[in-house]
Amino acid sequence: MRFIRLSLRQAEYNLVAYTRSARTVIFGVLMPVGFLALFNSVFGGKFKTIPVDGHNIPTIAFYTGGLTTYGVMLGSFTGILVAIVGAREAGWLKRFRGTPMPPGVFLAGEILYLFVTSLGLIIVMLAVSHFGYHLSLPAHAYLAVFCYTVLGVFAFSAMGLALTRLITTSEMAGSVGPFTVVILSFVSGVFLAPNLLPQWLLTFSSYLPLEPIVSAMQHAIALPGGSGLQVRPFIVLGIWGAVSFVIAQMNFTWEPQRR
Amino acid sequence: MLDMGHVAEDSMTYVIEVAGLTKRFGSLIAVSDVSFNVEHGEIFGLLGKNGAGKTTTVEILEGYQSPDEGRVQVLGVDPKKGGGAWKDRIGLVLQDSDFDPSHTVSETVKLFAGFFSNPKSVAETLALVGLTDKAGTRIGRLSGGQRRRVDVALGIVGSPELLFLDEPTTGFDPSARREFWTMLEGLRSAGTSILLTTHYMEEAQHLCDRIAILSAGRIVAEGTSTSLIALAGTTTVRFDFVEGLDVAALSREAGIDFKIQGEVVCATLGATQSELLRLLAHVEREGIELGGFEVVRPTLDDVFLDVTGDEA
Repeated sequence: MRFIRLSLRQAEYNLVAYTRSARTVIFGVLMPVGFLALFNSVFGGKFKTIPVDGHNIPTIAFYTGGLTTYGVMLGSFTGILVAIVGAREAGWLKRFRGTPMPPGVFLAGEILYLFVTSLGLIIVMLAVSHFGYHLSLPAHAYLAVFCYTVLGVFAFSAMGLALTRLITTSEMAGSVGPFTVVILSFVSGVFLAPNLLPQWLLTFSSYLPLEPIVSAMQHAIALPGGSGLQVRPFIVLGIWGAVSFVIAQMNFTWEPQRR
Repeated sequence: MLDMGHVAEDSMTYVIEVAGLTKRFGSLIAVSDVSFNVEHGEIFGLLGKNGAGKTTTVEILEGYQSPDEGRVQVLGVDPKKGGGAWKDRIGLVLQDSDFDPSHTVSETVKLFAGFFSNPKSVAETLALVGLTDKAGTRIGRLSGGQRRRVDVALGIVGSPELLFLDEPTTGFDPSARREFWTMLEGLRSAGTSILLTTHYMEEAQHLCDRIAILSAGRIVAEGTSTSLIALAGTTTVRFDFVEGLDVAALSREAGIDFKIQGEVVCATLGATQSELLRLLAHVEREGIELGGFEVVRPTLDDVFLDVTGDEA
């Protein structure tokens, strides 16, 4: 009970910082929304649909699904990386370590907070697509989108956590994080239609952690019928997340790293 | 090592026991065979220059670092094995920690209060560190000294039995330092034991019931500030040198070995009272006016420089 109470407080504390920082709001919300408008205006006129995994997805659904997932990854992966490396660098983590706070609370608070901000982003993105571009989700899609978000937040934040030992300064974290997400997005059907990429790259990216959840999200948003839930992203991201978490467990440090 | 003959009492009265503590970093010996005890309810000062091993010693006591040799007990527990219940009884002020700049002072203190089983109220804590009128100010807008006080607030909010303060007043202006001392004296009279590291001798002399001086990882002197000052022992007399002053005659008449150091004549005194009387009688007889005349007791500074083998 105490653990849950403290984790909720920690999440609330993080949310307060989020709402007070222009940077997090700009990168976390305005950028994905801006990209949605931009890509849709560039490609929306040329292509009515974009083929993904043998299904034709309406262009707005393609970009809504892809850029939402991009936003979730940017928020979780980069967010946890920057938060933990920054808190460690400032001696904040070390300071927490010296209190009776259970060690897991800091992480739980961080993940809870990322989950709330990711859900917030999804709501904003779906609202923009609906009111701006007349995209309507099939009823089943809401559950699928929710499940993929939970999956994404856990897997991406585990990956960010695993990198905290390699990346020692918040300056480095602030560039490595977004750079990784942007590169992954280019090969994972976020910015570019998958049929523009060579087959070997498509095959390769299907083993990376972004493509499976992006295409699943796009299918759930665009296609009627079924539960909208695919197994593949849970397997691929599950493995990425679990391996990352084990690495993070082995390597995690609370102490500031000497440069 | 200069031990001032502190009598060991029932070991239960010690909140900190350190025996034979040694810590190495590669070939560097940061702390070497350090032993001391801190009694319940006292302010114990650990003094030393930068790199003397103060922070390493304190971080071992706080559980952040492991000793290579020796026995360490804090509130009867090995700090490396101290869990949440142990941390609940301890307050920390680390040498440097920074806080999220977007939160206010009271939000930050409130977050920390939640970690402890018996916290002080946020208002009481802020009053103690003199930040009441900054409660709603964001950390990012505070001055360096005010941020340091937030550090201290986070150290005391859990009503600790034992408080570690690692150079807490660095960056304080003189009046803030005075207020801070008064606050620590208040905590002590409420029964809190305090381990303080500092490189301000005045602070140690004012606050600490007992002091240990570290130099190159070893304790080179230990005792109350009075007993440490007594070790240095010698009172000095000094006055301005003026042309035509016969220092040799002065020395002869007063039985004091005066030396001319630049513009000043000075000497260390043995039998202070009789030597001074002879000196003053002589100058009175001869009609000599001594300018800038002063008799100076040694301070903790002198002791410190003496035992750490260094000039300022």
